[in-house]
Amino acid sequence: MKPSPTEKRILDRMAPGVLCREGFLGTDARPLQEILDTDRSTLERLGCTHEQLAERLGRVCEAAMAACGAPVSVEGGRLMAEYREAMGQIPCPWADAARRPKGEVECTDPQTGRSLVYTPLAVHLIEAHGFYQGRGSRYRLEPADVAAVFRLDEQDE
Amino acid sequence: MTPALAQAGPSTMPGAGLMLVLLSAALTDNILLTRFLGMCPFLSVSRQIKSAFGMGLAVLFVTTGTCVLNYWLYVYLLRPLAAYGVPAESLKLILFIIVIAAFVQLMEMLIERISITLYYSLGIFLPLITVNCAILGASLFMVNNVTSKGFGLWRVLTYGFGSGLGWFVAIMLMAGIRRRLKNARIPPALEGAGITLIITGIMAMAFVIFQGMIKI
Amino acid sequence: MSVLLPILLSSAAACGLTVILAAALLVVEKLLVNRGTCVVDVNDGERKLEVTGGRSVLTTLTDEGIFIPSACGGRGTCSYCKLEMTAGAGPLSPTEMPLLTAEEIERGLRISCQVKVRNDLAVTIPAELLSVREYRGVVERIRDLTGDIKELRIRLVEPEAIDFTAGQYIQLRAPAYGDNPDPVYRAYSISSPPSARDGIELIVRLVPGGICTTWIFTMLTEGDEVVFNGPYGEFRLSEAGGPMIWIAGGSGMAPFWSMVRHMKQTGHARPCTYFFGAVRERDLFFTDELKALARELPWFSYVPALSGPAESNGWTGETGLITEVVDRHVREAGDLEAYLCGSPGMIAAAAAVLHAKGIGEQRMYYDKFE
Repeated sequence: MKPSPTEKRILDRMAPGVLCREGFLGTDARPLQEILDTDRSTLERLGCTHEQLAERLGRVCEAAMAACGAPVSVEGGRLMAEYREAMGQIPCPWADAARRPKGEVECTDPQTGRSLVYTPLAVHLIEAHGFYQGRGSRYRLEPADVAAVFRLDEQDE
Repeated sequence: MTPALAQAGPSTMPGAGLMLVLLSAALTDNILLTRFLGMCPFLSVSRQIKSAFGMGLAVLFVTTGTCVLNYWLYVYLLRPLAAYGVPAESLKLILFIIVIAAFVQLMEMLIERISITLYYSLGIFLPLITVNCAILGASLFMVNNVTSKGFGLWRVLTYGFGSGLGWFVAIMLMAGIRRRLKNARIPPALEGAGITLIITGIMAMAFVIFQGMIKI
Repeated sequence: MSVLLPILLSSAAACGLTVILAAALLVVEKLLVNRGTCVVDVNDGERKLEVTGGRSVLTTLTDEGIFIPSACGGRGTCSYCKLEMTAGAGPLSPTEMPLLTAEEIERGLRISCQVKVRNDLAVTIPAELLSVREYRGVVERIRDLTGDIKELRIRLVEPEAIDFTAGQYIQLRAPAYGDNPDPVYRAYSISSPPSARDGIELIVRLVPGGICTTWIFTMLTEGDEVVFNGPYGEFRLSEAGGPMIWIAGGSGMAPFWSMVRHMKQTGHARPCTYFFGAVRERDLFFTDELKALARELPWFSYVPALSGPAESNGWTGETGLITEVVDRHVREAGDLEAYLCGSPGMIAAAAAVLHAKGIGEQRMYYDKFE
């Protein structure tokens, strides 16, 4: 079905080379709505919400940014996080006037070896739009991985 | 057109005849409230008065234009072709839809040029006008009127304009009512489409008043 | 035959109608898009441009040789291209509204990359933007400063010289490559002193997934031709004579590298302490050059600080976050001025420390790169 003008504008901004080199959809061939719906149902199955994940990711990101690039321990010492800074800000493809600093955060769990690589913008995309980016994108976060790293799936809701 | 049909018109004054066609199409035979066509955009776009106004004008423009174009298509292409065995009744559906689709495309381009705000606020509903059954409905009723009542070009134009006007009036009424609904207490189960359809039904009952006032 | 004829005629009617309508739509589209010539009045009659309508004000002005800054390449996100349009801009588009305050809208400010030229327009362009030019140059040297920072030296080809104030930046054009459909412009501070008019130097740090920096790091080689426009920016040394501190990290060194060499060349002896924050020793660059300058110039001190885990390389300099180091060194505010260049996070943290010391906003200068 033909996307509405607003949807089309969002998809255009997600394309590679517009806001960032790889774009936000990676190699994912699925339509945007399907990506959003699949991730949402994964979260429902795990019993978490977008806000919960975004809140944890955001806290780790802030702590890493405050350390100005030095590795810092977060989540009560269980995880390590490091912020690799970059100049400038990147706007949200939804054109909601949200902009976040460029740069990336790597959050590692030394026990399991799992690591999450994401950006301050990724936190906003999850919180405001439930968007975890397309498969194949460098900053794609699998909701199941995030929930596992922050131990959100073990809680009984 | 047989002499009998020519005298079947309600008046010898062409102007009065057109007025009756207009009122009939807009009120007594309201394409939305009497014939129940074109409900989808009516339910969705009547949320805000500004977009309802824009959408109503768009539908008015398309209905008028496509009625006239389809009239010409019917008279100058389909009827002659019927002599060769081409089934005009079934082919007209395909041809009318093609004309409507092209006309809506044209209108999208015009709206984008004239008001980009309206273009974005109508969003996906603009191309959806193509499948608004009120538009195709108006064209098909027009064909009926041409064959059974001998409508000529001016009556067709008035009929198309009247149908679109009726739809416009209906959506503006609904938008106005929904604005007042914002402060009303509605049972949660009925919010949204539920209460809107109930109101549409009540409006339709009100429009039944016009039945019998004018009959062409 | 009599069965075939209706089928043929019906198909012919449907196809013929479709073709005619499609052709009509194409013609209408051409007519609607071609808006004819419009007149753009710049600064109340100072310049009158006759342009073909249909494109954004930003693109139209760029084609006429007037360069309005734009970090986002006309996508309506950075709001660098704000211009006052006194007439003919039409109603505000939904893409402009999130970027303008009510006061700006009142003044007639518009986002020039989102306003299409549909009829005669009047715009007000500040004088410094009218002196911005496009430059073509050749990459003379690219050298690695650290693992993810390179220095570019560009020799100018046309025009042959550039005039700027130390602290200003240029917008470098990264051409369309790979999957990128259009060229983009990205801002970089000029790191060479203004005296070297025949070329400029830039310090560029690789941004993971960045459009321009990936091009610079993977495709640009010595001898390549590049295009940039400038100079832009109000970040520069103030007229005051009191002491100052500079705080930077990573490629934030660039404007200060220009300023210190300029001050040395012009004998501008203003007491200055330069704090440079990095994570590990391998992230530092120009250390020897800056220490040499500190020895040579009595008014200049260089304080590098490492915030990463202690390594056994015998680092004897400052350690800790750059904000902590600044906190330790700065005793009293007095008439101290602070110049900051770095990522938004670092600047916010440093600004907080300086405010706490009593240095007010009017004595702080930022090169924020938003």
